[in-house]
Order: sequence, then C-alpha cells, then structure tokens
Amino acid sequence: MHIMEGFLPVGHAVGWFVISSPFVIAGCLSTRKILRERPEARLNLAASGAFAFVLSALKMPSVTGSCTHPTGVGLGAVIFGPSVMAVLGTIILLFQALLIAHGGLTTLGANVFSMAIVGPWVSYGLWRLLQSFGVSVAVSVFAAAALGDLSTYVTTAVQLSLAYPDAESGVVGAFVKFASIYAVTQIPLAIAEGLLTVVVMNALSGSAGKPDEIAILAGEVRQ
Amino acid sequence: MSPIDREAHLNRWRRKPLAEKTLLALGLLVLALALKPAAAVLVASTMSAAALVGARVSPRLWFGCMAAPLGFLAVGVVTLALRVDAHGIGLAPGGFAEAGALVARSVAGLTCMLFLALTTPASDLVGGLGRLGLPSEIVDLALLMYRFLFILGDSAVAMDAAQAARLGHATARRRVMSAGLIAANLLPRALDRARRMEIALASRGWRGEMRVLADRTAATASGLAAISATLAAIALVGLFA
Repeated sequence: MHIMEGFLPVGHAVGWFVISSPFVIAGCLSTRKILRERPEARLNLAASGAFAFVLSALKMPSVTGSCTHPTGVGLGAVIFGPSVMAVLGTIILLFQALLIAHGGLTTLGANVFSMAIVGPWVSYGLWRLLQSFGVSVAVSVFAAAALGDLSTYVTTAVQLSLAYPDAESGVVGAFVKFASIYAVTQIPLAIAEGLLTVVVMNALSGSAGKPDEIAILAGEVRQ
Repeated sequence: MSPIDREAHLNRWRRKPLAEKTLLALGLLVLALALKPAAAVLVASTMSAAALVGARVSPRLWFGCMAAPLGFLAVGVVTLALRVDAHGIGLAPGGFAEAGALVARSVAGLTCMLFLALTTPASDLVGGLGRLGLPSEIVDLALLMYRFLFILGDSAVAMDAAQAARLGHATARRRVMSAGLIAANLLPRALDRARRMEIALASRGWRGEMRVLADRTAATASGLAAISATLAAIALVGLFA
C-alpha cells in the first residue's frame, strides 16, 4: 500500500529515508558486484524488475468488490532474494510514482521500507523457514506471499500511526484505527496475492513440488 | 501503457532544461511540506498553472491522475478527524484543523509530483540522478527496466484482452486464475527477451555499458532566476502570512 506524496510530515519523511538507505545501499553493493562479475545479468534483472512493475499494474478483483492489484513482493523475494529486491523494489516504486502516480517522492523512503525491505524479508524468511521444515511448496509459497503482503500493510499502518498518533490513545490507538480501516481491503488482497503467487509458481514450475525448477529459473539472476 | 509517460514526452515543456523543471517542482515540494498550509495552497495553484497553462498538460489527465491518491487521502482524513474510544465513534478534538492542514499539504505535494511526472519523461529524471552521482550500474539498470516496461506492458495488455474475450474475467475465481496465467506467461517471456537482447548486444561487442544519445538543453540563467524568485516569494508568504 503506497503512502501518497505529501502525506508524511517532513521529519517522518526524512526519518524513513535514513532508515531505508542502509538496506538499499547494501542491496546496491551486492547488485553491483553481481553486475561486475556478470554484466549479462543486467538484462535479466531489468526484465524481472519490469515484470514486477507490470504485475503490480494488473487488476485483480477483491472480495469487497473493489479492484486491487498484486504487489509481487512475495514472488520477487522468493525468486530473487531480499537483498536484490531492495534495489529492484526502490526503482519500481520510483517508476510507480512517476509513471502511474502511485506513491510519492518524499514518501519514497517510507514506501521502500514497507514494500522493498520488510515485505521481501518476511516473505523470504517464511519461505526458507517453511521449506526447511519440509512444508509443501504450494503452502510455503502461499504463506510467504500472503504474509509478506500483510506485513507491508501492517508496516504502512505503523508508519501512518507514528506520523498521526491519536490525541488520546496515542500511537497504539491510531494504529488500531488505520489498521482496521485498511484491513477491509488488505486482508482479502493478501489472500488473493497468496493464491495468485501459487498459481504463478505452479505454472512456472509445471506443477507444485519442484522447487528445483524455480531455482534454475532464479539462478539466472540470483547468485 | 502509461498515459502519464505519453504526456511527459508530448507536452510543451518537454524540451525545457531538466534542471529548471526539477528545481521548480522539488523546490515547491519542499516548501509545501515545510511551511504553513497557506504556502501549500500557493504551491498547488502555482504547479497547476504551470502544468495546465505552461506545459499544456491535458486537464482531464491532470485531474484523472489525482483520483486515486485523493481516495487514499480521504481515508486518511477520516481516520484523523474521528476518534474511537469506550463511548463509540466521535469527532476528534482539533481533528478538523489537523485534517485541513494535511489535505493542503498532500494536494500540494501531489501537484508537484504530477508536474514532474507529466512534463519530464522518467528516463530523463533517472539520467539526471546518474549525473548527480548515482552509480552507473544502477542507472543503467533503471533505464533498461524503463525500456522493458513498455514492451512487457503491451504483452500483458494483449494477454488480458485475449482472456477477457474468452470469458477469463467472468468470475472472481477465473480472474485470479487469469491474472496468475498472465504473470506466469510473462516472466519466462521477459527472461527470454532479455536473453535474446543479451546475445544481440554481445555480438556487437557490448561490455556492460549503455550509451544513449540524450538531447539535453542547459539551464538558462534567466530561467533559474525566475524560478528562484517564485520559490522565494512563496517561501516569504509561507513564513509570514
């Protein structure tokens, strides 16, 4: 969920840039290393990033009747890993602001933190954890994508409530307000995104249960 | 695929110097965020005038682009103006003043961002970031991504139309399946296209550097002076009004 331009006060906008930048800089360094060693990976990364952008522009029905769009956070994290996703996610969020007026420039730091850092790390962590417990690929992918999506929304609600705490009940009260309002659209979206990502993974690997083939596909980009 | 991008390439201020356009939009953006709501109102009107009268951006597109962010803003304002406590839902004390300031600032910020997006192609802006010191690998990656976006976007739109024509959007379940199929078919295509492009580039002696001709115009002193004067005037109003 993108925070719009101008919504955050100056201090918060700057603060989120400061918090996000170490992750993005670390991602840039590892991306540079990959590109130095194998310049041809550049085209794969660019194509994958463009793919994630196009995916986020796809319209999907939401249970509440409104149209919504997948974030691709879970899919990207599982395929490329969270460090490359921080860089790709930042570029994608910048293009979303400039090409479809989603999100903003001063709120880029906050949006990067929720969508290119927290979401991918939650997805990737869950995917690795569930795989190590021997959970089936379909269930792991669903959990990684749905909870990764949900975590971006919870992070955004936290960011908004920190910026606009409730006069009486403070940050916690504001969080309850923001979280419950956005839950109406975001929980169905998270479930839809989880299902969608399972469908994508199934189609990509022929059938669920062949993580090797996903790894081959991902091996093009992930080191 | 993106009407904003088309407008960015076709508007009247397309060839204005990048430095002038970004100084105006980002300068006003900072003023809108840092100063009182009065300055934000001035920023919003200045940016709208610059975009609609100066750059001749289509008004329909200008206001159309605002719809989705304003929806987000409406939800935020409702959250700010209401409070929930043991007695149920009521109006928050001082919530209206706070909400008003938020609306002014957000709309002003939105106009600055839209001005930049609608008068300057994203590729120009990313190129500008490169000249400001962003590593060339990252700039190249972003520019390549920009070029891939439209190719893949066209494929996705075509796939979507084909699915719609075959009742792929008939039920919610089918829509999820259809969206999944598009995503699943698009990724291998994207990677395949990247592979073919890489072979084509490698056969032309490519070493991992993208050189493209950019038609840049240098910023003029008079333009920069006019922009600085506008910024200073709005800053004064915001500080003392």
